[in-house]
Amino acid sequence: MLTVMLISVALVIFFAGNAVRVVKTLRMPAHLRWELYPIPKGPEERQRYGGSYFEESGWWTKPVDTSHKSEVAFVLKEVLLLRGVWENFRALWSWAWLLHWGLYLYVLATLLALGEVLLPAGASFGTLHAAVMYGYRLACSLGLAGTLGLLVIRSWHPRVRAFTTRIGIFDLLLLGSIFATGMLLLTAGPAGLHSMISDLVRLPTFLGNHPAVWHIHVALLTFFLAYFPFTHMTHAYMKYFTWHRVRWDDSPIAHDPHAAKTLAVNLQRKTSWAAPHIAAGGTATWSEVVADADGNGAGKRA
Amino acid sequence: MRKLGDIASQSGQLSQVPVQSLMPLPAPYDRIADLPPRKVLNQKVLDRIDTSLDGFSALGLARPQTPEEEHEFVKRFLSGLEKLLSKENNWTFLEQLTLSLDHCARCQTCVEACPIYTASGHDEVYRPTFRSEVFRRLMNEYAKPGGKALAWLKGEHVELNAATLGRLLESAYRCTLCRRCAQACPMGVDNALLTREIRKLFSMEMGIAPKEIHDKGSMLQLRTGSSTGMNARAVRDNVAFLDEEIRDQTGLTIETPWDKEGADVLLIHNAGEILAWLENPMAFAIILEAAGISWTMSSDLAGYDSVNYGLWYDDAQFARVAVKQAEAARKLKVKKIVLGECGHGHKASMVTADRILTGDLNIPRESALVLLRDIVMSGRLKLDPSRNDFPVTLHDPCNMVRMMGIVEPQREILRAICPQFREMTPHGVNNYCCGGGSGFAIMSGYNFEDWRFSVAGRMKLKQILDAFADCPSPEVKKYVCAPCSNCKGQFRDLFQYYGVWEKSGILYGGLAELIVNAMTDLSQPFIKWEFH
Repeated sequence: MLTVMLISVALVIFFAGNAVRVVKTLRMPAHLRWELYPIPKGPEERQRYGGSYFEESGWWTKPVDTSHKSEVAFVLKEVLLLRGVWENFRALWSWAWLLHWGLYLYVLATLLALGEVLLPAGASFGTLHAAVMYGYRLACSLGLAGTLGLLVIRSWHPRVRAFTTRIGIFDLLLLGSIFATGMLLLTAGPAGLHSMISDLVRLPTFLGNHPAVWHIHVALLTFFLAYFPFTHMTHAYMKYFTWHRVRWDDSPIAHDPHAAKTLAVNLQRKTSWAAPHIAAGGTATWSEVVADADGNGAGKRA
Repeated sequence: MRKLGDIASQSGQLSQVPVQSLMPLPAPYDRIADLPPRKVLNQKVLDRIDTSLDGFSALGLARPQTPEEEHEFVKRFLSGLEKLLSKENNWTFLEQLTLSLDHCARCQTCVEACPIYTASGHDEVYRPTFRSEVFRRLMNEYAKPGGKALAWLKGEHVELNAATLGRLLESAYRCTLCRRCAQACPMGVDNALLTREIRKLFSMEMGIAPKEIHDKGSMLQLRTGSSTGMNARAVRDNVAFLDEEIRDQTGLTIETPWDKEGADVLLIHNAGEILAWLENPMAFAIILEAAGISWTMSSDLAGYDSVNYGLWYDDAQFARVAVKQAEAARKLKVKKIVLGECGHGHKASMVTADRILTGDLNIPRESALVLLRDIVMSGRLKLDPSRNDFPVTLHDPCNMVRMMGIVEPQREILRAICPQFREMTPHGVNNYCCGGGSGFAIMSGYNFEDWRFSVAGRMKLKQILDAFADCPSPEVKKYVCAPCSNCKGQFRDLFQYYGVWEKSGILYGGLAELIVNAMTDLSQPFIKWEFH
């Protein structure tokens, strides 16, 4: 029961931690534009060379492209193929790709295993069970190979060695341990990895009957779940913000009637930048700072 | 430099930047002996200012002389770090900043995209992730709760002292903010944004910025109307002189319209053009008059100078200039602002200021390249491409192209009027910066120019030479079309440093000049093959 309780706590931390990160980012003030081309929006011909609506005369009178088709295609290539790494750091790519696919398949196999548990007892689900088994087998093989490769690259390759820290190695070792113990469990018969989810859900009181490696694997997973929201690994979903809300956010104020109101709030924020040409002193608003065009220090007058 | 923590080292220089290690240039530029010697700083200067990053100084930052001064310096930096993380002080870029701080995987996928790092021969102090990572660690360790313990646990401790800060600040002026690295990052992390935030902290909290872009730049612009120091009367006198020059050179009678209320177009040049590259504003006047465009210039404060140096280092200065420019346009009730050939002026006004200019200040803004394209393609001008029958290549200013996606209009024009137009490799949104971006083209510092020419501009120079590899002789006159004032400033100085005009016969200039050069209405070629 303790194992199940710990996993439950880890899941709460996982979901709450990630939710807090997302909500905090969503609640940040509307920022200034900082887009970067190519942006996967607009006519395909223009996307081919990275052009924008600024190439059209009277662009502010033309309709905005609201389709997300190209954005989705871009994201899929990045997530499934790690296109950016492929184009810019080939030596890292194969190992990074293996690790990422190891993770994707592990998550997929776990979801399938959960589906298996939720199906009515006695239903025939041999194919599903086989998919779970093969999913875990492939996930752990790819993930372990990727992790080991990345550990070697991180320790040896001159391009990354100097920027590899204790925490970077720790993260890889953690992932590697999960995949390695998973591999060991694949040979543990009915008490192995492929029945882990059903055992956790259906038989929490008998968990003591599992081999030690099973408990180590579950403990590592539990730790990983609670640890994940506090790491840079959250890039898995935070890319939505870095791409969609920053890099691809080319939405002009002319097309957004609500933007002016939001920005008016920003201009009324009080600032405390202290350089002599601002000297806001925590009393001047951004509007006052901007109006102080001679740079004598808005705070001195406010 | 052996490891990142060396940034805090109390003595020595992190890099010597030896000429022999730099990326080789094609002949005849490969002879190190032919290069001008680097400026040697005397001991008095070296004792006073911080050159401990790489031996160069962009800012002339004075070293703290006492422990109390150092303590105060660090304290003010820490205060700035905290402000960068607050909504009140940094609503402008808080989201971008936190995303780039929190999600770097330290994979170094981005580093080869940086022309400075690669042209330097992979000097570690110019690695685009070097300053970002130092900044990230300082932020995590000193501005966040529990930071010290976590830094120790993670193995990410960076000592915070005056040496760290001096080097970090100088390092922020070894990046042109070209954002090629951001393009390459699979996470969407932006090292250039982090670089700008470092610059911003030092400027907005500590009042430290290069004098060329602050005191003699944005402050001067807000005081006189232009970063050139020209007030309204001076600019009108100078433009009147250009009108006379047009008459003398072409026989055309043009009187540049000033403060014409209700005009379709308010044309805002980078005022530097009016002083340094007269032919560009002259060409614009000829084209707009010949095409029958209703246009005007403004003599209001900042209304005749599209530069906005705040874009590179300071949000307050940025917003102040952007608002002044928009106020000038509002006063004249023009239909739109057209930005002349100035890359950062384009981005500042059309992109970054968009969410500052609310209500009736948000006047439509358009690129001159688009207007020129429309004029050329409309057939309103009589053009003869054979007048431009010399090798031409195109430089893509980062701010217009990578950061705004204005890629094709200038190419449509060149393909139509320049029979020997050829692209550089790479080009378009993947272009290389001229090496003068983010203020470098106007910065000389103490010995900063040596670095600007030998490192920052190196990749671009190689690219240009490669584009003209089929006609290297100085007898064959060649033209680099650079539709950006800042880039032209860099090309002028870079070409002079390497003797490019003498050795290769390569001239640089704007786009409008090529159009006028092709106009059959003119009896003489408009482009004078004289280097200046």
